[in-house]
Amino acid sequence: MNKKRVVMTGLGVVTSIGIGKDTFWNNLLKGQSGISKVEGFDTSEHFVHNGGEVKNFRAEDFIGKSRVKLMGKASHLAIASTNLALKDAKLDLKNIDSKRIAVLLGTTSGETQEIEEMDSTWVKKGKDAIDLWSIIQYPVSNISSHVAMEFKIKGPTRIFTTACAAGNYAIGYGYDSLQLGKADLVIAGGSDAFSYLSFTGFSQLGAMAPEKCQPFDKNRKGMLQGEGSGILILETMESALNRNAHIYAEILGYGLSCDASHMTNPQVDGVVQCMQNALERTNIKSEDIDYISAHGTGTRNNDKAECAAINKIFQNRRVPVSSIKSMLGHTMGAASAIEAVTCCLAVQNDILPPTINFETPDSECDIDCVPNVARKQKVTTVLNNAFAFGGNNACVVIKKWIE
Amino acid sequence: MRQRQCIKKGLFNITKEMDKKRIVITGIGVISPVGIGKDQYWESLQAGKSGFRPITLFDTLDLGVKIAGEITNFNAKEILGFQGLMDLDRATLLLLSAAKFALDDSRLIVDEATTHRIGVSVGSTLGNLHSVSKFDRESLTEGPRYVNPSIFPSTVGNSSASRISIRFQIKGFNATLSTGMCSALDAIDYARDAIMLGRADTVLCGSIEDLSSQTFLGFYKLKYLAGTKEKTEAISCPFDKRRNGIIFSEGAVVLVLQEFSDALKSNVKIYGEILGIGSSFDPSKFYKYNPKGEGMKEAMRSALKDANLRPEDIDCIFANANSTQDADAIETNAIKDVFGSCAYKIPITAIKSTVGEGFSVSGGFSTTSALGALQLGAIPPTINYNQKDPGCDLNYVVNKSQKKELSKVMVNTFNPGGANISLILGKFNG
Repeated sequence: MNKKRVVMTGLGVVTSIGIGKDTFWNNLLKGQSGISKVEGFDTSEHFVHNGGEVKNFRAEDFIGKSRVKLMGKASHLAIASTNLALKDAKLDLKNIDSKRIAVLLGTTSGETQEIEEMDSTWVKKGKDAIDLWSIIQYPVSNISSHVAMEFKIKGPTRIFTTACAAGNYAIGYGYDSLQLGKADLVIAGGSDAFSYLSFTGFSQLGAMAPEKCQPFDKNRKGMLQGEGSGILILETMESALNRNAHIYAEILGYGLSCDASHMTNPQVDGVVQCMQNALERTNIKSEDIDYISAHGTGTRNNDKAECAAINKIFQNRRVPVSSIKSMLGHTMGAASAIEAVTCCLAVQNDILPPTINFETPDSECDIDCVPNVARKQKVTTVLNNAFAFGGNNACVVIKKWIE
Repeated sequence: MRQRQCIKKGLFNITKEMDKKRIVITGIGVISPVGIGKDQYWESLQAGKSGFRPITLFDTLDLGVKIAGEITNFNAKEILGFQGLMDLDRATLLLLSAAKFALDDSRLIVDEATTHRIGVSVGSTLGNLHSVSKFDRESLTEGPRYVNPSIFPSTVGNSSASRISIRFQIKGFNATLSTGMCSALDAIDYARDAIMLGRADTVLCGSIEDLSSQTFLGFYKLKYLAGTKEKTEAISCPFDKRRNGIIFSEGAVVLVLQEFSDALKSNVKIYGEILGIGSSFDPSKFYKYNPKGEGMKEAMRSALKDANLRPEDIDCIFANANSTQDADAIETNAIKDVFGSCAYKIPITAIKSTVGEGFSVSGGFSTTSALGALQLGAIPPTINYNQKDPGCDLNYVVNKSQKKELSKVMVNTFNPGGANISLILGKFNG
């Protein structure tokens, strides 16, 4: 099968440091943190109180008022980003056969806020008091359905729940779907809303930092939870050129792997395998990689394993690696999608976003983490890493658009 | 007439790509309310044995419906051994057991040489709900500082799938798709694409649903269960006039998908071939089927197109029909539209009359039953059929199994949330 070239022509993000790609990108380069005190629920009984909530988002700005209450926040965020991405791609869906558009999304928690509501009512007031809507809104399949419904899309819709690699899984499947001719246009990405359950879970695992997220720092104390969504418009090169679209970057392909070892502890071998698969499948040599958008959660184990894996593949070459989770926290299923948007903007603008909060180098993380300040440099080919619960790894290769 | 119109539109003029790989099924593992293991499952289906019984997994309290397709004789330790089962929820135990059966059945060798070429693809939407709620409840009653953190990893949607990789040391990839009733066939579609594109040689393709009080209460509150409405009976009788809702059921299915040449090399039994898959989304209604069934039709048509087949080539349809008023009637009409004059001839069966509506696993149940029908040369019946509905007037196989040599069959799953997917399986003739 002759490989088709797949390009990205529209970007949409909703994050704690900005809604829309321009604000988001400017704030990333400034190294602005989106971390604040959690307001969505009471954290007084928790050990930690900070997170990356999106605080200035109004669903009504993107979705009709009567429809807003039919869905949970993860769906709101996904629709908002899709709206932004489609506008950015200057796409008028009326001119495209809706059966040839696919919606492929990823999420970790989905609408857990809805099930938390149901459980809370059940425990406090009994099952008869449960609101029907909290049940209807819960199944995670709603997120992709709501997006498809909002934009009247009739092609394949899927949602991956491959935890924190879900965004990359969705983008990767978008690439495959275009290769296989299953669609002409793909809306791909991820969305996750701030979840009490995840917050409590990570807190109980002792994986969360008390204040700030410091990936690769010797004194890093853990991850911070975030929320948001990232959507990318994928199409073939021919389709983009035919309609004179602006092309941000090209997806060369991707690689997957599974540690098959532990639910929560990443393994060096699995991560190496994943990056190697990505390089092999795209025929890219490691020396051609200019930048890695790290999974970089800021936990002791993740950063240590990821750096060891990077050094194993890149030997002694210090390829720049940064983690925007230092600013956004971990946006779970949306993380790798938001990071893919970041990669597109990095190759387009030849600038690398920094890893903020970096103070003390760590011999366990012997990499160039683009500390604290964005860096102007030529960026042609980049890796976008994502490692999920269950040892599920996905790594996408993105390249500057050169016809 | 309709058929001719289709041909005019060029629907069937697509020539098969030369380099399309042939993908076959070489292993089956099934845990269901009508049987554990494929032989028992097929036997019960053909005999029209129902898998519904009073729920024992949780207290149904004052709920008006007290039956479900609960699996009662399931003992994970007998299948998986005693080791490493401690922190696993019911959904995961069911899925791991099905995976063990499928691996043994396909005699697949998982070692350092092959493991990176084997993937896992699972359909699950509510499989983690029990663990999510357990975690929530502990936090609500004991306080967030006292929740047992060992439950947390089981709350993520891909926890069951991940545990297949961990337990059986499978390192290729691990994907979970969560598209409601379409989950199982979506996972098969993903697996097929992965093999087509050379991402893996073999994929363990699973689906799962477990009977948890949360899921059951959800369907009950939505009045989706048979027997919820006044003066109705808790009965699963697809296409019958008395149909009034689903009987919810649980289970797990794992199929082993491989490229044909690999299956030949390892000399394993080939249960069937995947000939085509079509999927579509119907954005017309929220949480209700489009009365016109446009999305269903599109899924069936694109599956035929993908398989390069004509409607008259299909020997049997394993319907999505789940004994709800709208689903069964709308599917009936959609079949009439897609299959034209042959719609009235093709035998159609709804196995949800015996195994129930397994939601995420329903496509797994149907696919497995279709593979059984291809093997046995017999179509399992739609049981409990006794009152004709003028709106459902096709050639349903009712109450008794029907002997018929089958060569190509269609499996449908349609989610009321809008997603639709159809799969065409072929008998393997070498």
